[in-house]
Order: sequence, then structure tokens, then C-alpha cells
Amino acid sequence: MKNGKKAFGFGSALLALTLAMTGCTGGGGSSTVSGEAKGGEGGTAEAAGNAYVLGEQPLEFSFYGHYDWYTMPNWGEDKASEWIEANKKVNVVPISSGGNAKQKLSTMIVSGELPDVIWTERGADVESLRKAGALVPFDDYLDKYPNLKKWAGQETIDMLRSEDGKLYQFPNWYTTQPNGNAGYLVNKKIYNDLGAPSLETTDDLYDYLVQVKDKYPDVVPLEVGQSAGGVDIMTSAFAENRPYQYSSLSMKAIPSGDTLTSVFTDDVFRETLVYANRLYREKLMSQDAFTQPLEQVEQKIITGKAAVYVASSPTEFGAIGNSILSEEDPEAGYIMVWPVHKEGLDKNKIFPGTYNQLGWNVSVITKSAKDPEAIFAFLDWLTGPEGQRISMWGPEGLYWDGVDEEEAPKFTEAFTTDTKGRDELMNSTVNLQWVGNTVYVDNSKMKFESTLPEDKKSWETKWQSEITWKTQYDTTEFVNLNPAGDSSEGIIEQSVGEIYEKAKAQAILNAGSEEEVLAILDQAEKDAQQVGYAQLLEYKTQKWKENLEKLGR
Amino acid sequence: MKQSAGDRTLLFIVYALLALMAFFSFYPFWNAAVISFNNGTDTMRGGITFWPRSFTLENYAVVFEDSRLINGFVISVLRTVIGTLLSIGATAIFAYGMSKSELIGRKGYMVFCIITMYFSGGLIPTFLLIRSLDLFNSFWVMVIPGLISVWNMIIFRTFFKGIPAGLEESAKIDGCSNWGVLFRIVLPLSGPVIATLSLFTAVYHWNDWFTPSIYISNADLLPIQTKLQQILNSNIMSEQMAQMDSAAQGRMGRMKAVTTKSLSMATMMVATIPILCVYPFLQKYFVKGVLVGSLKE
Amino acid sequence: MQNTTHRVSIEKTKAKPSLLKRFGRQWDLQLMVLPPLLFIFVFSYIPMYGVLMAFQDYSLFEGFAGSPWVGFKHFEMFFGAPEFWTVIRNTVVISLLKLLIGFPAPIILALLLNEVRNRVFKKVVQTISYLPHFLSWVIVSGFVMSMLSTENGSVNMLLQNLNLIKEPINFLSLPEYFWTILVTTGVWKEIGFASIVYLAAIAGVDPHMHEAAAMDGAGKLRQIFSITLPAIMPVVIVFLILAIGNLLSAGFEDILLLGSNPVLRDVGDVLDTYVYRTGIQNNRYSYATAAGLFKSLLGVLLLVGANYAARKSGNSLW
Repeated sequence: MKNGKKAFGFGSALLALTLAMTGCTGGGGSSTVSGEAKGGEGGTAEAAGNAYVLGEQPLEFSFYGHYDWYTMPNWGEDKASEWIEANKKVNVVPISSGGNAKQKLSTMIVSGELPDVIWTERGADVESLRKAGALVPFDDYLDKYPNLKKWAGQETIDMLRSEDGKLYQFPNWYTTQPNGNAGYLVNKKIYNDLGAPSLETTDDLYDYLVQVKDKYPDVVPLEVGQSAGGVDIMTSAFAENRPYQYSSLSMKAIPSGDTLTSVFTDDVFRETLVYANRLYREKLMSQDAFTQPLEQVEQKIITGKAAVYVASSPTEFGAIGNSILSEEDPEAGYIMVWPVHKEGLDKNKIFPGTYNQLGWNVSVITKSAKDPEAIFAFLDWLTGPEGQRISMWGPEGLYWDGVDEEEAPKFTEAFTTDTKGRDELMNSTVNLQWVGNTVYVDNSKMKFESTLPEDKKSWETKWQSEITWKTQYDTTEFVNLNPAGDSSEGIIEQSVGEIYEKAKAQAILNAGSEEEVLAILDQAEKDAQQVGYAQLLEYKTQKWKENLEKLGR
Repeated sequence: MKQSAGDRTLLFIVYALLALMAFFSFYPFWNAAVISFNNGTDTMRGGITFWPRSFTLENYAVVFEDSRLINGFVISVLRTVIGTLLSIGATAIFAYGMSKSELIGRKGYMVFCIITMYFSGGLIPTFLLIRSLDLFNSFWVMVIPGLISVWNMIIFRTFFKGIPAGLEESAKIDGCSNWGVLFRIVLPLSGPVIATLSLFTAVYHWNDWFTPSIYISNADLLPIQTKLQQILNSNIMSEQMAQMDSAAQGRMGRMKAVTTKSLSMATMMVATIPILCVYPFLQKYFVKGVLVGSLKE
Repeated sequence: MQNTTHRVSIEKTKAKPSLLKRFGRQWDLQLMVLPPLLFIFVFSYIPMYGVLMAFQDYSLFEGFAGSPWVGFKHFEMFFGAPEFWTVIRNTVVISLLKLLIGFPAPIILALLLNEVRNRVFKKVVQTISYLPHFLSWVIVSGFVMSMLSTENGSVNMLLQNLNLIKEPINFLSLPEYFWTILVTTGVWKEIGFASIVYLAAIAGVDPHMHEAAAMDGAGKLRQIFSITLPAIMPVVIVFLILAIGNLLSAGFEDILLLGSNPVLRDVGDVLDTYVYRTGIQNNRYSYATAAGLFKSLLGVLLLVGANYAARKSGNSLW
């Protein structure tokens, strides 16, 4: 038995050795070092004296993505990481979550054998690791390495700081400008066939859906996606400056003056559910809203079997659907419309989507790391322009060549002609985007798109620039409002969440009239108060105020 | 011998029922296979039932190109073969001992075993134990802790008890020890139960993604099922997703979208077909009258 | 050598030897069971201190030694939870339904298969019937959902074509259908796999008994009831005892995936899903352990009861 184990150990050692050797040869062979990198690295070294210079020494660290669905691709098997391994001498060893992230992490904590880097959601898990002293603070590195500070900005960094005032989290897809795709996708063919009626107000939308139902019996008039997520988005239509997040499962708290109040008594939330219930009863909305698997939604969009699709990111299916449908019939496809609003509201103050400066999730470096500074230096490089270019669009020379004065890549012709190769490359590296730099990537993309003729423009980017980026709301002040799951507020959060989910589903599916919807919500309010909703709201208000203080608002 | 009319009707109903059941059992699997041979983008349009609409081997090409999946496949085979052989061997011996009414302490032993079917220390103490035994991140963690199965022992024991006592007695009079009786008389007569439990154990080993997900961090040692689990997980809307703002949901969605349904189905096929082939080979041990034949000798 | 010891032992029985001596005499038998028992002790009993977690406020970082003791706090919270009685009711009802329908189904399948004379047909059906066991619940639930969908779901389309219903039924949003869907899917998925062990038991039946019975003019049905069934009874009873002991495990993945619609929670929430959602998902390890301990204790009680009842048939576990 022992021998068997050794044999496996030997095998993997051999593999690592081979990888290291191929890495070295690669490094010797390639001589292209972009001027930008030289400048960037050299500059910091001079400034800080003893900064870690990436690529001088080999760097190896372990990386754990704390998600059930996440599989880190083998390092060095795609063009981007191959280049990084060869030129920066970095090797990242994946630690698998095995589809069982929660329990995997708890065993790693108990055994004290944490991976060097954990990539996870912000919030309770990170905070408990921090409290246990398992994380390395970044404060000493911040000034030595320029990119995070430069691109994320002081405000974002301050918001990411923990209670002890130190920074432990390296953000991913942080931003200082709006981004996101939430909104209303409309089936072009049906829309034009019905005479392209106005789709500005919620009443317009209702009338349109009625028409669709009459003329196209096999089409779902309004698709709201999995778990009726689209209904959440639609709360934005019933008030100005109202992000859907207030009444979503994650927040369940409505700002009113300087406190957060109950979602169940909120007029906007109630009005939205009354509207949704009416759509459901009159069969104007997907009848399987709460049970359909994602692929069923995808199928409806791609085959053009939905007239309107409202979701937090409708462009993903929309882009595929648009290209498939328009290939068969140039008149078919999808367009996006300006977010609908309730009669009497200002349409320029309607925000169906939300984003926050902190972005999606974070990487933390644990005390298991032998050289945390080196890892930070690597992450900082990766989030900088050069790292972003290579991890998004591959090494220089393939789909981009050189950079302009703003460090945006100059895309080659292959970028637009060899779409298959480009997509393959981008798919192979999408799971290596751990420290995405929204502003740099989005601006580079937009800059390039603006140089293209109208018919060459990507469908998605077109709508992003025309509609969605203009209608996403900044919710930075509402991040991290949720209590830890095992605290007394956490237990309340769990109970209120269940009451909320059930009430929402019942209000949409089961209520036979407006009165019934409101009665269900009144009952939910009573139940929620009984399990301590008030205490939870107080906690959230407190957290919100702390955020406002940090933001200086 | 002529069959009565009643028997013939009965037989007809039996055949009809079984055929119907076979259809319902077969269709989803067939459909999954068909989807695995269909173009990924085309699959998204839905409506694929009995036959691929846009036939391609691309999905399998991707699966077989992935060195990790092939590696995982080898680990799965090794684990299943070694794990099943060792576990069935050890458990059969254990069960035979437990089946003897003269075994001193039998009742106590049995209670001792059954308690473990209901009470377990949970993940964390077990994990600490495994680590202190130096089994963490080792191939053997998938084999050794599951070596003795109480459940299998109970089944084995029930079957062993059904073997006529006279056979064993006569063997003992001929000078066989208990071990001799087990290997020369009892096991050769236990073809069906050994085949059944070997199949159950092999299937358990093949399908178990949980043990490696916890006890193995090294991606090169993970069996194919754990990888499949990760791929399938990307189809489930996670709780985490509901907690995020729409911009972040878009980012996450993009990462998850890399694996198409056709590709997951191809992976599933590769991860399932080998274990499916075991049963047909074991069916020959289910022939009737094994016991009777030997009694007549 | 062993032969002689054995002989000697037979001669000495009259003297009623001491326990130690008798033990020594069956050392070879004890050698079969003691090492596996030691093995069970190591892998199952040593970690059992983990149940103490139920009486602590366990924290991953503090460990067992450092976490504070809180007595029965988590049990009180569990029994006092507003969902407690709904969860218990659902657990019991779903399990009983699964037992009532899911337990006999594979036995019936095995008996039917046994009547098939055509070898190829038998082999094919046997192999196909166990296929669904290998589909993971994620895939199965996807199938069930699309079959029961109101938009082109095959079940609704069939019912509409047969003019049994006018409007499609939203099966997975209506609590009254949930248990039926759950049990049917469960039976469909496991029937073939579970029938294998009964086929093995049937293989042990002496075919001459059937011949003799047929000579006496017994029909097929009579033969099944008077020969085959009694012959496999010991196996059936052992499985039944084990199944009763597991009554509180009403299901997990199937319910989580098929009952994802929040309106189904009143009928679908069972012990395991409840503990998963409230305990594991929120890092409340102690709470989850307390609930687990409660479940284990009840399970053992049920098992002891079932075993006691089975003793009359002479097929008890101990």
C-alpha cells in the first residue's frame, strides 16, 4: 500500500518537474518582453527598493476557487497561462473544490492547511478567516505595486478593508464606472410584426404582452427567467432611482430616510408583485417561472419563443439567439429597449441593473503562503493592463499587437475575422479571470468597437453602450449588509429569507386577486416580525451607516 | 408441459409491463447519449429526442483531449477494481464469522456494528482521523475507510444462513476448519450474492464523488465522477448567485457558460458507460440452481 | 492439526468449559470477526466524539477543545423551530410513501423477471432497468421538469390530446402533486438496481420445487406465492428492517432539486433538507449535529422496534 501511494506521489512529482522544465525552455525561447512591462516593473522596483520582481525567481502557489461549480483549468494548457508560465515563471497549482466547496473549505480550516490563495465571495467566510488570523494583510504591498491602487481607487480599497482597518481582499471586476447587462430584451421580429408599438411604460408593456398572446399562442409573452428573477428586476420600473436589489432576497431592506425598513410593507415591492401576479394569472408571463431549469429559458430565447425577456443578464442568451435567428432571417433577432417605467416617472431615473465598485468577488492570501508578497505582486500584475490583455485576449501577436497611448491593445484583423479561434481562446481563459479590471477591459473593448463599421459591431457591446451601461445603479453603499450565518442575526436572516421566498412565489403563483397578493405580504410581514425581522433590519442599518462613513457620503 | 390459459395471459401481461418499463428507463439515457453526439449550439435550441440533429464527435474530442479527465478515468478504474476486490473479500470473511450461531459475543458484535449505521462522528473528526492516519491526499483514502461495509456484511450473512447446515457439517466432519468451509463450500455456493454485492460495491466506488472531493486536493488524483459532479454543478443556479448584483451575476454566468450541455452529456457518458458494462457480465452468476446442483453431488 | 482440536472440543462439551476456554476453541472463527471489528472501531468509533459538537457552539477555528459548551441549546432551538412539526410530518409521510410503494416495487420486478423465459429479453430488460440509477439527480430532475412543463411538456401534451384536461397543469407548482411526483421518480430511478439483490435471492430457489408444484396443477401465480416468495423472505425481511430504521431519511437531493419551488416547501421540507439549509449552509455545525443526533436516535428506536417484530419470523438482525 505504501508503495502504491509513493508511486502516485512520484508520478505527480515527475509531472511537476516536466512542467517546470517546459516552463524554463519556453522562457528562454521567447524574447518578447513588452515595453510596458519593463517600465511598470522597473518603476516600482526603483520606488520601493526591495519590491518583488516577477519573473526573476520562479513562483509557485496553490489556488482554491471556493465554488461548487468552479474547476480551475490546468495551468499552462491555454495560451495565456502558458505565456505567463514561460515569461513570468509563475506556476499556479489548482486545489479542487471537488464540487463540494463548503465542506472542503471547512476541512482545510480545521486541519490548518489552507491553500495559498482562496478565491471566494466577500463577506462572512472571509471575515471569519480574518478573525482567526489566517489571512495576510496587503497594506504593506499596496504602495510597492501600482496597479490595484491605481485602477481600483482609494474608495474601493477603503470599502474592502476589514474591521481592523487593514486590507485583506483583492477584488475581482472592481470598477469605477457602471457596467452590467440587466434590462429588457425584445424579440425583433414579433415587435415589428406588431407594428413596433411604444414600450415605454408598464401599461405599454402589458398591452404589448396581451397582443403577443393573442397573435402568437406558442410564444411566451414575458420570460422572467429562472426562479422568476425577472420579476425582481421589474421592481425598478415602479419607482425612480430604485435598484432592484432593495427588495431582492439578498437585501430584503428598503432605505427610507436613514434607516432600512421592511420589504413586505414596501409599496414598490407590493405594486410589482401585484403587476406580476396579474401577468401570471392572465398567462402573459412564463408559467414555469419557479420550476424551469436554466436550459429551458435558454431554449426559449434561442428559438425566438419569447417576446420579451427581462433578466439580470439577458445579453448572454440574447447574443447567441440573435446570431442564430438573424442567420435564418435577417429580420429576426433581438433588440433591447430602454427600461420600462410606470406612467408618470422619469424614464432617465429607471435603473434595472445594479453594480458596485467592489465588483464580484475577491482573492485572499493566507498565512500558508511562503511568499505572500510575491503572490500579491503577481495578482497586481495580472490586474494591470499587461496582465489583463494577456489573460483576456492571449499573448501579444495573436489577436492584438502593441498598445496605444492609453495602454489599450491594438487589436489585429484576426480579432474580427478569426472569431472561432478568438472565442476558443477566450473560453479557455475565462476561468482564469480572478482579478478582472472592469474599467481597463471595458474601455479597451469599447474603444475598439467604436472604430468598427456598424455591421461589424458586436451585438452585445452595442446594447451595452446604448442602453445597459447607462441604466445600472451603483449599490456600493449596500455591500456586506448580511450577517454571518451562525450569528443570531444570521439565523433571523435565514428565516426571513424563507418567508420572503415563499411569500413571493405564493403572491405570484397562487393569489387570485390584488387583495390576495397584499394579504399574503401582510401575513409574511407578521411572520417575519415574529422571527425577529426588526433586529435584522437594525443590524443592516448599522452596517449601511458604516459603509456610508467609509465612502464619505 | 402445456401452459394454462391463465398462465399465458399472465405471461403476456408480464412481457408487456416489462417492455413498457424498459422503454421509460431507457429513454432518458438514450436521450443523453444523443445530446452528447449533437452540436453544442444546436442542442440549446432544444427538441432533440431520439436522434442527433446535427451530428458531431466534437464533444468527445474535447473530453478525450482533457488530460485530467483521462487521468480521472484511470483513477476511477483502479479505485473500483482494487476497492471492490478488497472490500468484498474482507466483508465476506467477516460476514461468515458473524453468521455462525456459536460465535461467542455475536449479539454484542452485531449491535456494535449496527450502531455505526446510525451514529457517525461527522465530517470534521473523520477528516482529522484520516489525516492523522496519513491517508489524506492518498489514493488509498478511497479504498481503506470503506473496506468493511456493515450493510454488505448483513446481506452476506443473510445469504450464508440460507446455505443448508448439512453441507457445512459434512465438510467439517471431513476435516475442514471454519476457514476451509468458507473457502471450499460457502463461497463457491454464493455466486449470486457475491456477484450482487460486488456490483453494488463497484457501483458505489465508481459513483462516489464525495470521498475524494473532501480527502483529495490534488487534481491529478481525482476520479472522473468528482469532475463530472463539478461540471453538473455548473447547471444548478447557486445560492451565491442570488446574493450578487446583476453585474456580478453576468460575470459568473459567463464563467459557467463555458461548458455546454452537450459537453456535460459527453462527459457523463464517458463517466458512466464503463460501469454499466459490469452488470451484463455478472448476470451469468444469477443462474438458478447453483445450490441444488451441489447438493445432489 | 485443527482437525484434532475440533475433535477434542466435541468431547469436552459435556464439562461446560469456561468462557475463556470456549473462546480459545473457536479462535479461528473469532479471527474472522475481530480484525474487522477493530477496523470498525478505528474508522467509525474513534471519530464519534464528533457528536459532542451538538452540545457546543462549535467553531472551526476553535476546534473541539476551544469551543464553548452550551448544553441542550441547539436541541431546544431545533425542537422550538417554527418549521419543526411541518418538517417531521413531511419526513414521515414521504418516507412512508416511499416505503409502501418503493419497497415492494423491486420485489415485484424481480418476480416478473423471473417469469420471463426468453433469455435475451430478460437480460436486456434487466440491464436497461438499472440504467436510471446511474443518472445523477441533476439530470433526472431536469428531465422530470421538462416532462411536466406547462410549455410543451410531454405529460401535459398527452393529457390534452386525450382531452383529459383543457389547460396545462403546473405540476411542479402545486403542492398536491409533489409527493406523487417524488415517489414515482424515486421508484423509477431505483427499481431496477434494487431488484438485483432479489434476483440473486431467487437464483437460490430450487427449480425442482416449481416443477413439482406445476405437476400438482399449481398456476404461475400460486407458485410465486407459495414457493418463490417464501424462499426469498429472509432477504426481504432483513431489507425491510433496514428500511424501517432509515425511515427518517426521506430523501435529500431529489427533494432539493424537484421541490425547488418555494411554494412546495410546506409539503417538501424534510429533516435532511431542513438541516442542510439552516445548518450546513450557514456554518451552524452544532445545530446540524444536534438535528442529526435526534434523527439517529429515532432511527435506532425504529430499528429496534422493527427487529423485535421480525424476531417472530426468525429473521432478526441480532
